[in-house]
Amino acid sequence: MTAGTVSKEPLPQGVGNFTGKWMIVTGIALLGVIVGIVGFLVEKNQGMVATGMRDLGTMQGATWGVYISLVVYFVGVSFAGITVAALIRLFNLEHLKGVARMAELLTVVALILGAMAIVVDLGQPLRGIVNLFRYARPQSPFFGTFTLVISGYLFASLVYLYLTSRRDAATLAKRPSKLRSFFRLWAAGYENTLDQRERDRRTSFWLALALLPLLVVAHSSLGFVFGLQVGRPGWFGTLQAPAFVVLAGVSGIGHIIVMAAIIRRVVRAKRRIGMDAFAWLGRFLLILLLGYLYFVVVEMLTLIYQPSIAEQGLSEALLTGTYAAVFWGSVVALVLPVFALAWMAITRSWKLSWLVAVGVLVNIGAIGKRYLIVVPSQTHGQLLPYGVGSYTPSWVEFAVAFGFFSLGVLMVAVFMKIFPIIELKDETIEVELDTEEVMT
Amino acid sequence: MSRRSVITTLMIVVGLLLMVLAYFVGGAPWCADAVECSNPRLEWSPAIFVLGVVVAFSSAIYYEVAKDKKE
Repeated sequence: MTAGTVSKEPLPQGVGNFTGKWMIVTGIALLGVIVGIVGFLVEKNQGMVATGMRDLGTMQGATWGVYISLVVYFVGVSFAGITVAALIRLFNLEHLKGVARMAELLTVVALILGAMAIVVDLGQPLRGIVNLFRYARPQSPFFGTFTLVISGYLFASLVYLYLTSRRDAATLAKRPSKLRSFFRLWAAGYENTLDQRERDRRTSFWLALALLPLLVVAHSSLGFVFGLQVGRPGWFGTLQAPAFVVLAGVSGIGHIIVMAAIIRRVVRAKRRIGMDAFAWLGRFLLILLLGYLYFVVVEMLTLIYQPSIAEQGLSEALLTGTYAAVFWGSVVALVLPVFALAWMAITRSWKLSWLVAVGVLVNIGAIGKRYLIVVPSQTHGQLLPYGVGSYTPSWVEFAVAFGFFSLGVLMVAVFMKIFPIIELKDETIEVELDTEEVMT
Repeated sequence: MSRRSVITTLMIVVGLLLMVLAYFVGGAPWCADAVECSNPRLEWSPAIFVLGVVVAFSSAIYYEVAKDKKE
């Protein structure tokens, strides 16, 4: 919208319009959050004994379970969000601009959930948070993970999301609505001048450039949390860090595809998020999947070629034992999408329903793989003479996990009602609204 | 150089300085001794590191939001 234009049209993309369907979705998500809070309160009152986690060795359990698997998963999802957003702005990928903001939002939401998943895993959450900022050792990969990933990376992503959305806030602040003051505050004096646009472009470019190496370091250090533990067969290895980064990309791109498909339908923005955007995401996902499957094969071959006793026990548990169902299920969930994506890429006929199925499947596979990275090495990877352990998550852990996913849905749903989830076009809002009307 | 650019650059430099100092000077020394090398030389140095990250990235907000006197 040009400066000074005042319109009585409703806000675009259903912003500020609380429909019945939205209320139902939000209500269900809120119920899910309450279930999660109840689970956490039970854990807080009864202690960690309410979960399925037990000490390693003497209690033959696992100290890291569903929560840490979710930390790794959520932080992974965040990776692709900001990567895609940064690539779009760095290389000015016009056909992908429709997914840029939702990718940035996905990063912020996933990082918040990741941070919360760490907190619920601690027996004394407050003590853990305070001591991390007080005593953490820079040499430890935990330092890189929890300072860079959670605080630095989250803050940087928030800054990125804020700055890239100021122009839209300024545009919407010119319209009479209940959210006008909020948009004015968000815009913080933004004026759509040539100078400002040039500054935007420069800031976006440098922020994207600063974020990309930061997030590779952050995700690699999360891989190092496992990969540097020399006394833990199954974890110790050079492939952990790169495999973490690649699987992070796989789950995140899958998420963006599903999210974009839902949002384009909800806000009726088929033209803003065209099939060429999905095709680009599909091709990117295919490359990442092939890379990750290569890592899996190399890792498994190394594990079973000439294993020590502990590694042999671990590989048996993965391939034919306790974790075989999760392992092969995850492999199938990651291999099937390769065929589907390759077929669509070769025939150049991208189908949205297939892509959504692929996005869901790769995320199921990614959660399974994260679980397999975290748990089996604790129960079956003992070098000390303890018996084989076991881990079964309790209802409390499932309730909290359900609460996390519900909170994610809730945050996205609320954001969609207070701000356009798809970047507004550079021209006037009226033109964009007309276009949307024609499509509808 | 405008006031905006000067303050932005300063914020980035201060942020990076805080990160480097917190990591290499305030943090636990790089050695193998389990007792001597466990605690940071300066308590709260991890928090200072995070503060450095926050200051450095806040420079982007300042650069975008602040108004130059000329304008």
